[in-house]
Amino acid sequence: MDEILNSGNIPYVSEASVSVEIETEDMTLNIGPQHPSTHGVLRLVAKVDGEKISSVEPVLGYMHRGYEKLAEVRTYPQITTLVNRIDWVSGFANEIPFIAATEKLMEIEAPERAKHIRLILTEMARIASHFVFNGAYALEIGALTPIFLAMEDRERILDLIESVTGGRFHPNFNRIGGIKPAAGSGPTTKKNVQDLPSGFYQETRDAMEKVLEAVERMEDLVGGNEVFKMRTKGVGIISKELAEEYGVSGPILRASGVKFDLRTQTDFLPYDKFEYEIPTGENGDCYDRWYVRLVEMRESAKIILQAIDSMPSGPLQTKVPKVIKVPKGQSYVRTENPKGEMGYYIISEGGLGPYRLKIRTPSFSNISILPVLLEGQLLPDLIAIMGSLDFVLGDVDR
Amino acid sequence: MKMNLSNSPEFVESLTSAFPTLENNFDTLKITVKSSEWVEKVSQLKDEFNLTYFSWLSAIDWENEVSVGDPPKEPVTSHFEIVCCLSDSLEGNLVLISTDIEKEDAKIPSLVKVFAGSNWHEREAYEMFGIEFINHPNLTKMYLPDDYEGNPMLKSFELISREVKPWPGEVDVEGMPDDGAEENS
Amino acid sequence: MIDGSEILVKAGIVLAFALNGAVIFTILDVKGASWMQRRPGPLHVGLRGFIFPLAEIIKFFQKEDITPKNVDTAVFKWAPAYVLASVFGLFVVVPISPTLVGSDLDLGVFYLLAISSLSTLGVLTAGWSSANKYSLMGGIRAAGQLIAYELPLILSVVGVVIQAETMSLVGIVEKQIEWGLPFAISGQGIAFIIFMIAATAEMMRVPFDMPIGESELVSGFLTEYSGVRFLIFYIAEYMNMFIMCAIASTLFLGGYHFPLLPVEWVNFYGPVVLITKTFLLGFILVLVRWSFPRFREDQLQNLAWKILIPLSLLNILITSIMKVVF
Repeated sequence: MDEILNSGNIPYVSEASVSVEIETEDMTLNIGPQHPSTHGVLRLVAKVDGEKISSVEPVLGYMHRGYEKLAEVRTYPQITTLVNRIDWVSGFANEIPFIAATEKLMEIEAPERAKHIRLILTEMARIASHFVFNGAYALEIGALTPIFLAMEDRERILDLIESVTGGRFHPNFNRIGGIKPAAGSGPTTKKNVQDLPSGFYQETRDAMEKVLEAVERMEDLVGGNEVFKMRTKGVGIISKELAEEYGVSGPILRASGVKFDLRTQTDFLPYDKFEYEIPTGENGDCYDRWYVRLVEMRESAKIILQAIDSMPSGPLQTKVPKVIKVPKGQSYVRTENPKGEMGYYIISEGGLGPYRLKIRTPSFSNISILPVLLEGQLLPDLIAIMGSLDFVLGDVDR
Repeated sequence: MKMNLSNSPEFVESLTSAFPTLENNFDTLKITVKSSEWVEKVSQLKDEFNLTYFSWLSAIDWENEVSVGDPPKEPVTSHFEIVCCLSDSLEGNLVLISTDIEKEDAKIPSLVKVFAGSNWHEREAYEMFGIEFINHPNLTKMYLPDDYEGNPMLKSFELISREVKPWPGEVDVEGMPDDGAEENS
Repeated sequence: MIDGSEILVKAGIVLAFALNGAVIFTILDVKGASWMQRRPGPLHVGLRGFIFPLAEIIKFFQKEDITPKNVDTAVFKWAPAYVLASVFGLFVVVPISPTLVGSDLDLGVFYLLAISSLSTLGVLTAGWSSANKYSLMGGIRAAGQLIAYELPLILSVVGVVIQAETMSLVGIVEKQIEWGLPFAISGQGIAFIIFMIAATAEMMRVPFDMPIGESELVSGFLTEYSGVRFLIFYIAEYMNMFIMCAIASTLFLGGYHFPLLPVEWVNFYGPVVLITKTFLLGFILVLVRWSFPRFREDQLQNLAWKILIPLSLLNILITSIMKVVF
């Protein structure tokens, strides 16, 4: 110090320049298996720089139950019990593609009445699943009220499903060749058995009216809110090409502008007898995905109202043998689960159970898009995007 | 009874002319190709036939001695079969394409360059069957814990619960009834 | 000569007032919530639902005192007390009638604004000292938000001070009585709205509860606090809400004055009027809390710096011009 002062060469403060490169490292934040917003036990290892995310790596498998292996040691009727636990929010809709594939291999067709009842229950499952989405998504964005209202409206639908099938979440109602005679209808050996519970039609009509009201209210309360629009418009845009590369399906694909609905592609259930619209979005952002599901609820309610008015009569199940053996063959059937496209690829060697059952679940493909989509987003946007993809861990992990 | 309204006859015809091995059973189109042309044929399907939607990819273990379930009816040579499902998101055409590879040192080129979405599906096939995908960017376990040994979906992999209570196998079977039987289980 | 017993009595009354205010606003918040959400618990169960604050307080007291291992112990333990102390300080100056006030400082407004900004430090240290990345992120967001919204708060009050020509709170109310109209109508309407928005942000309530961010940060800076420590934060938040609404009604709505009632009885009806006005403002805050989603951090900062501050500066400009002209 003295040398500097005595040397006559004192550096002036104004000439000093500070050039310090501060090295920062990204913080690794574990949006861990237990978190209020991951719908189940999904773990995201995120590297964040302040509030910006630099990379995200999902770690799956916390809920892996090994369904495909378990299906190899079960008979075909037993597999429906397994299968409606895949996407537990919409219980009935998981069984439908499996039953479709099995019936195709056996070359039998369910009677008309069974098909109608299957359609009604599938649409009710769709409404129930979308209610959960609407409530939970608003909760993640921060609005604390819509989830209570959504859950209350959902209870009515679950009560209806329970009155027909006996189970709210896991109905296990499909049989190969038709459906089971409904709960609360007496022993099955009698002829002229009453299959749907009495008062079902009127209760369903009331419930659907309330659903239509709830959709209006949700559209106003949540969709018209300025803050909600600010949080979701322009956030997490998925382009059409990205969606197709990764196999994203269902409302997400429709929100990105592709008007593709599997209900129009297969005639396993008689959708072609009813009028309904297929909503699509324009931008593919979170708001569009939310809106598409809201409109789908309304369309499902309309389908149910039409289906009730035109219900044919007849038997509930075609004749099948007591022990079901499916002949040798391979078939793949996919249908429209509320979350997306769900398909079952059955390889049957003529045994009591399938030789190999491959389950194609929608949420697995839907969240494979996360590492690409979330780069460079802010942390609150991560929550908004993940919520709008509407996945369930049972679907992802099987 | 038609199940898939989607596969239009013109599509099936154009596909048959390009792929002679096409089978159409139970409304499911399935093409078998050689494993050396796997990536090339899949790219052909994507570019020429507009099947740009990647649905899933998985594997099947063909084996005669199985520790779970029933063995195949007729004896098969033991091999792996890789199946990939592609579709067209506008028309709804659906095609399964499959190839056979051998079990010893099972390797096949990865489809990641053609369809980015096959990343996770191939990882799952890797950990469940032990198939190695060449040129895959991140071939690590997906569902199972890191120190898990074995490949669960192989037919030789035993289920502990079936050790306790073995698979009942074939029981007495009836044919399709005419009018008599009314009880169904 | 300051009388020791008088100080003690006044302090005791202010303390009682503060705690009761917190409890009353807890009831207002939760009952409002369950009415809007159709939940039966706080509406019907147990004395028409009024028993639940007692249940909550007992629940918090009987919880285990968990201090994680890696925390900075002294800071962790004292942060809640710090926040609570800074909120208590606000109760001293608010008048419930011209003579019933803790201490009628001449610099009343200045004192209020200074003390209320002390809680920022408490929140930031609470987030930093818990050895938890989520708390850290919550604390940082809190620091940014609280500092950003100090300015609109202060600037909106400056307009009132200009119009009232005094900083003492009793003086402001007297000025409103003299003019016959509360300031919210007679020229400070925009300032009133800005003050309410900034106060909501200062309290970290929805729609500004990013630092707590329940569905993202699992309680933000409060994550590691449980039991009595959490209760202290909780009570501090509701006391803050109560006093901010009381201050807003004093500054903008005329405080303890009601137009047609006789002035001699003001010591009796003053408190009632003030608490009613506080309740009304609190109810509006409750409605907003349970209907709106939360802002994202950058949208929040946008709102503060680009919209509220220019508006409040404009308000000061207009007020001073009107003051000089008229």
